[in-house]
Amino acid sequence: MIELSHITKRFGGVLALDDVSLTIARGERLALIGENGAGKSSLMNVLYGLYHPDAGEVRFEGKPVKVTTPAEALARGVGMVHQHFTLVPTLTVAENVVLGAEPTRGGLLDLDAAVAQVQASCRRFGFSVDARARVDTLTVGSQQKVEIVKALHRGVSTLILDEPTAVLTPQEADELFAVTRALSDSGLAVVLISHKLKEVLAFATRIAVMRRGKKVAEVKPDETSAEALAELMVGEKSASPAPGPRAACAPGEVVLRVDKLRAEKLQDISFSLRAGEILGIAGVDGNGQRELAEVLTGLRDFTGTLELFGRRFTHLSPGEARAQGVAHIPEDRLRRAVVADMTVEENVALGRHAVPPFAKGPLIDFFGRRARTAHLLEANDVRPRDGTLRVGALSGGNQQKLVVGRELDGQPKLLVVVQPTRGLDIAAVAQVQRRLEEERQRGCGVLLVSLDLDEVLALSDRVVVLFEGRVTAELERAAFEERLIGRRMLGVSDA
Amino acid sequence: MRKAVSGGLPSVLAVFTSLLACFVAVGLTRGFGNAVDAFAAMLWGAFGDWPRYLETDNAGAVLRPLGEAGTKAALLTFTGLSVAVAFRVGLFNIGAQGQLMVGALAAAVVGAQVELPGVLHVTACLLAAAVAGALYALGPALLKVRRGVHEVISTIMLNWIAVSLVENWLVVGPLRATASGDNSIPGTAQIHASAELPRLLGETSRLNAGFLLALLAAVGAWLFLSRFRKGYEWRAIGLNAEAARAGGIDVSKGLVQAMCLAGVFAGLAGAVLVLGTELKYPASLGAPYGFDGIAMALIGGGHPLGVTASALLFGGLRAGGTRMQLFGVHKSFPELIQGFALLLVAARLVWDRLLARVARKKEAVNA
Repeated sequence: MIELSHITKRFGGVLALDDVSLTIARGERLALIGENGAGKSSLMNVLYGLYHPDAGEVRFEGKPVKVTTPAEALARGVGMVHQHFTLVPTLTVAENVVLGAEPTRGGLLDLDAAVAQVQASCRRFGFSVDARARVDTLTVGSQQKVEIVKALHRGVSTLILDEPTAVLTPQEADELFAVTRALSDSGLAVVLISHKLKEVLAFATRIAVMRRGKKVAEVKPDETSAEALAELMVGEKSASPAPGPRAACAPGEVVLRVDKLRAEKLQDISFSLRAGEILGIAGVDGNGQRELAEVLTGLRDFTGTLELFGRRFTHLSPGEARAQGVAHIPEDRLRRAVVADMTVEENVALGRHAVPPFAKGPLIDFFGRRARTAHLLEANDVRPRDGTLRVGALSGGNQQKLVVGRELDGQPKLLVVVQPTRGLDIAAVAQVQRRLEEERQRGCGVLLVSLDLDEVLALSDRVVVLFEGRVTAELERAAFEERLIGRRMLGVSDA
Repeated sequence: MRKAVSGGLPSVLAVFTSLLACFVAVGLTRGFGNAVDAFAAMLWGAFGDWPRYLETDNAGAVLRPLGEAGTKAALLTFTGLSVAVAFRVGLFNIGAQGQLMVGALAAAVVGAQVELPGVLHVTACLLAAAVAGALYALGPALLKVRRGVHEVISTIMLNWIAVSLVENWLVVGPLRATASGDNSIPGTAQIHASAELPRLLGETSRLNAGFLLALLAAVGAWLFLSRFRKGYEWRAIGLNAEAARAGGIDVSKGLVQAMCLAGVFAGLAGAVLVLGTELKYPASLGAPYGFDGIAMALIGGGHPLGVTASALLFGGLRAGGTRMQLFGVHKSFPELIQGFALLLVAARLVWDRLLARVARKKEAVNA
């Protein structure tokens, strides 16, 4: 039994955790839900020794304990699997699992013993992973299993999973829940951090809801519903994350056509996209979606046919793509979309800095830029409304709103969007998704790449499924079926 | 403006701490009375001996030190700008010294071998030096964008190539001045009077138009980086090259252009040295102004005006340093101060943390 008692944690002026108390009992499956920034991960990071609370205490079996490092947490039986894995890609599964507690013989690393130990652990906990495989050859789903085995191998009695299904196919997610359910039946306490209400309701035995650093409710799954939970998370009625029924799609002319397109990780991709249409690209992480988006925005070289608005390109630079009317909302905004150490105004100009209202001849047009920025911040509800701030000082959601606003500001003809709502809270997700729908209605062709299958299915008119760089399915909205798409994402051709 | 001040604060603190530390060091070894005298001498040597001027009405007491300080500051400003401009696009130009050498040689050759009327001749020399410096920086830039060769490695190697090429061969070989009578003169031939940079404060002071050129270059670089589209592109490249590329900015072009401008500034430093004070390429250039440029750029926070400020200060201290010898203090003390200040700036994290703590305390008091 672990008790977190009256935990308060402050970051600068922000109250991340406000007097939160929570208990975790043996063998239970506790779901911790809330919007981004609600404090779910912060609370678990306190338990895992990554954050030190300003007030409150952690008790193990009734005894107050100061957990100051993850090593101490592990020693007390608490393991955590983060969203971003902490595996060494070039080492084998066995080497990763024993890392930090390696078996030795005469002072030397005993790899055979490590493999044997890890194989035993995998068998005991019901995971099918090859202990000798190099981690970078495994799928994301398998890597996650390795993370879990690594925690269990240390003998943890409480396992924290931080948004474990974000990168998994439906099948992999089902498998993960089946295995962890069996583990919890044999005594393991599991804490699931999530914002996917469906899976929480199916998996958890108890649900704690957090909002703005406070625990606002604790419910049993059979006493509640997805709507009720969403309401608790957001705190007001308006919480449905999925967009409503969609207006009829009247696609116009072809804005993008690729034929036998080849690039790194892409093999003979062919499809086309019309104006006024959202084409979803579904696939498990690492099957070529990212490379496809890079080709279309001029960031990656390719061979084969690429036609934009009827014009054929054999080579495309990012500047040319933009000039043609291609806008890009990349996956990793801090790497590709914004310059964190420049101001909001300077970032609004990025990509259009050479044309009015951002430039006057060779000079920067400071007045034009300021006016455009003020308009853009207002129209996209970017907070705070201060164009002189560093972009790095904005929250992730507001950075994304800024990027979306900037890219749509130029009325693009083709919009390439990758993971546009990853890491955003429900309100921001809804706003971004609404903007995509508005662009579709305006007549923009939208190519949506997302690892969140629910999102792809909710927004797209058509879906192309990629597996190992090839198109394994192309479906119209009327024919969307989650199970079928899930199989195609894994390269399975039929049931 | 407030941002500029708070950004420069760590550098200012670093310089004062280092001055203080060196003062204490001198005081402990030579006595504090001596230290006060030595530091005063350095100060008068740097910014003019005002007390003696007021006493004796001898203008030279002020003008001569100001001239020495100004000429050194001009060179430090140019090489500092060279390093700072490259730094803005994320390149580390360690090659300012080599670029300075080829620039100096180009200026010396055009100054001595070409005959042109007054202003044109100076301009031609400056241009030749700028082009030579730019070309010398172009190689590392191209290697960087085409082949991924790290510019630190290539510019360092080119420094040595410049030493061998210029000082060990050209200046003592093909370009050596023809001996007049029995006297063998080291270095290249003397430049024509028409190629000399005009003196600003009369004959008592060596301050020349190179000083104004340096100030002009600094203001120009500042305006370019902050007000021009291209400057914006360079800054974006330096802060996040990948985002700049995705935004349609030609990153390779920006890197090459910035590196060439860095070469121009370093080349001009060489030209000012030759056309202003040496009047030929001497047997050996002596002071490593190119390497001091790295210190100027770092202490100046990479900002053209910050570079100028630190060049003015350290140019002055260098000029005044020789006078410290009168009090038994070695004349390289200003370099020691500079090196220590650089160390403190490099340890910027410490300052940032200290300042953040002070700010927090203030906040707590106000709350």
